Amino acid sequence: MKKSPPVTPFHGTVSAGPDYRPGSPNHIIAKPVHSPETLRRLDLYRTGGLIGDVSGLTFLLVVFVLPLAVLVISSLSASWSFPELLPEALSLRALQYVSSQIRPILLSLLSSSAYSLLTVGFVFLLSLLPARALARYDFPGKTFVDALLLIPVLLPVMTFSMGIHVIFLRLGLSDTFAGIVLILSIYSYPYMLRALISGYLRIPGQYTTTARNLGGSFLYTLLHVELPMLLPGIAAGASVVFLVAFSEYFLVFLIGGGAVPSYTGYLFPFLQGSDHSIASLLALIFLVIPLLLFFLMEGIISTIYKKRGLEA
Amino acid sequence: MKLRGGHIITLHLLPLLIPFAAFLLTGITVTVLQSLNLGFPFSNTATVQTLSARAADTQAVSPEAGGTVPGLFSAYREILQSPFFYESVRHSLFIALVSAAASVAAGTALALLIWRTRRAVKKYTVIYKLPLILPHITVAFIVLILFSQSGILSSLAYKLGLIGELREFPNIFYNKTGTGIILSYIWKESPFAALMILSLLQSLDIRYLQTGSMLGGSYFRNFRFLILPHISPALHTSFIILFLYSFGAFDIPFLVGESSPRMLSITVYNLYFREQLSSRPQAMAVLTLMFLFSLIFISLYTRSVSSLNPKARKV
Repeated sequence: MKKSPPVTPFHGTVSAGPDYRPGSPNHIIAKPVHSPETLRRLDLYRTGGLIGDVSGLTFLLVVFVLPLAVLVISSLSASWSFPELLPEALSLRALQYVSSQIRPILLSLLSSSAYSLLTVGFVFLLSLLPARALARYDFPGKTFVDALLLIPVLLPVMTFSMGIHVIFLRLGLSDTFAGIVLILSIYSYPYMLRALISGYLRIPGQYTTTARNLGGSFLYTLLHVELPMLLPGIAAGASVVFLVAFSEYFLVFLIGGGAVPSYTGYLFPFLQGSDHSIASLLALIFLVIPLLLFFLMEGIISTIYKKRGLEA
Repeated sequence: MKLRGGHIITLHLLPLLIPFAAFLLTGITVTVLQSLNLGFPFSNTATVQTLSARAADTQAVSPEAGGTVPGLFSAYREILQSPFFYESVRHSLFIALVSAAASVAAGTALALLIWRTRRAVKKYTVIYKLPLILPHITVAFIVLILFSQSGILSSLAYKLGLIGELREFPNIFYNKTGTGIILSYIWKESPFAALMILSLLQSLDIRYLQTGSMLGGSYFRNFRFLILPHISPALHTSFIILFLYSFGAFDIPFLVGESSPRMLSITVYNLYFREQLSSRPQAMAVLTLMFLFSLIFISLYTRSVSSLNPKARKV
């Protein structure tokens, strides 16, 4: 009888991977569990210790949060001129202005949110099946299609949008809400496509096969087996697409032509003007919607996962 | 069976390929056609503006009306003869190159800084993503408030006694080098580069660094020979994306750009919307040249990267 190889000491857990088949050791997942002491020592090669933490966080605060704090102070100032480090006097003038203009501001925020959300939905419908094909199937010219579909992110926006503007004029889509949703979708779908492709790559193909073998139709499998597992990918793609659409200025300005209200369009003249305190407040208001949506989405997704007993 | 599989794939891809062909490819084609003075079947008769364009065009096109026939390449000829065009090209290339390289470098430093924080504070480092949420025009405004001659940093420099008066603070806006535009791009895009780099850093096995250190490698050598090769695909991808973005983007130069030299996007905008209708083919010609340049840039860059490092993933 052959002598079995020496067993190396292993601290950790061994489990069967998602596509485990008896006799396929490659699919066994081994997770080493390090002692806290080992972890600390391993971490020393990566981290900068307490000094690294403190100086790193301070740097991030100064570079990324302080400028926004400056916007807050500026929006509350009556006048703030060189060489004062803080405004000479505070006033609620900007707030009063915004509350007097609340109707057009809300209208533009609502319009921007509406076309951005519609873009997210439309882009999702457009990219779901292509992402499935690009992740699941191998076909001739796949690399080419993959690269071709990246064009809107890589090429300068103007090179295709000016031509599309001419087509939209012809089709009567310029200066319309639908036109804006369409141009933003054409511009931003690669983000959703990428997110869905990586989402599909994480789902083992056997799940689909099993569902189909058990008699599920293509649509049923798509909606009830694949879609729930795609949720994190959809959320990631949706947030990027929403942000891109919501903060786009040029395309909305080109296709909307001022006929469709948008928050970036409302904001722009103020940013150009000399009243920095109103401009600062309006710029801060811009942040509210994306932040709100992110918290909302985090909440919704974790509730869905808890209900279904899945791990997020 | 094979045929059926092919059909399934085609059907799967159609939802994207149809709008892609109908709008994106047609849009680029219209741009090219109009740059060759050929795009007029597409002009819209319903709007007054393009009606007059049509009138002007037919006048120019039909020799009976006394106009001369514009040649296929007349728009290109006019652009290539204008010194402003070359100035614009140089300016755009300079801004794109500097801002993309600086954003990738700053993004690498940022990613390393975040990566080096310990588990307990890691969750607070998300604040680096703030510029990702802000639109470009707001970013330019923030940089304007901070860095203009009457801005916060100028005031700070005055209080610290570094400058005696407002004029001594370097003027970065509306100067010839586009420093304001570049700073705005760096603040906005370095978190993007950091995001891409971080996702690769998280998959770097710390034991490599441990081994490197045990073999006597300094932190710099570890960075140069272990970390850098590991993150280089993200560096190349983000450089290409950021370079082409700042090369052709409109928002920031429109808000804080100088009028001379102008970035190409602003030149196109002015040619198309602010000058006579007869200069629209020139705007489209500039766009066509930008399009060709971008294609050549992508293919040359990916080729040189893959010849340097055969393992590097292409975009």
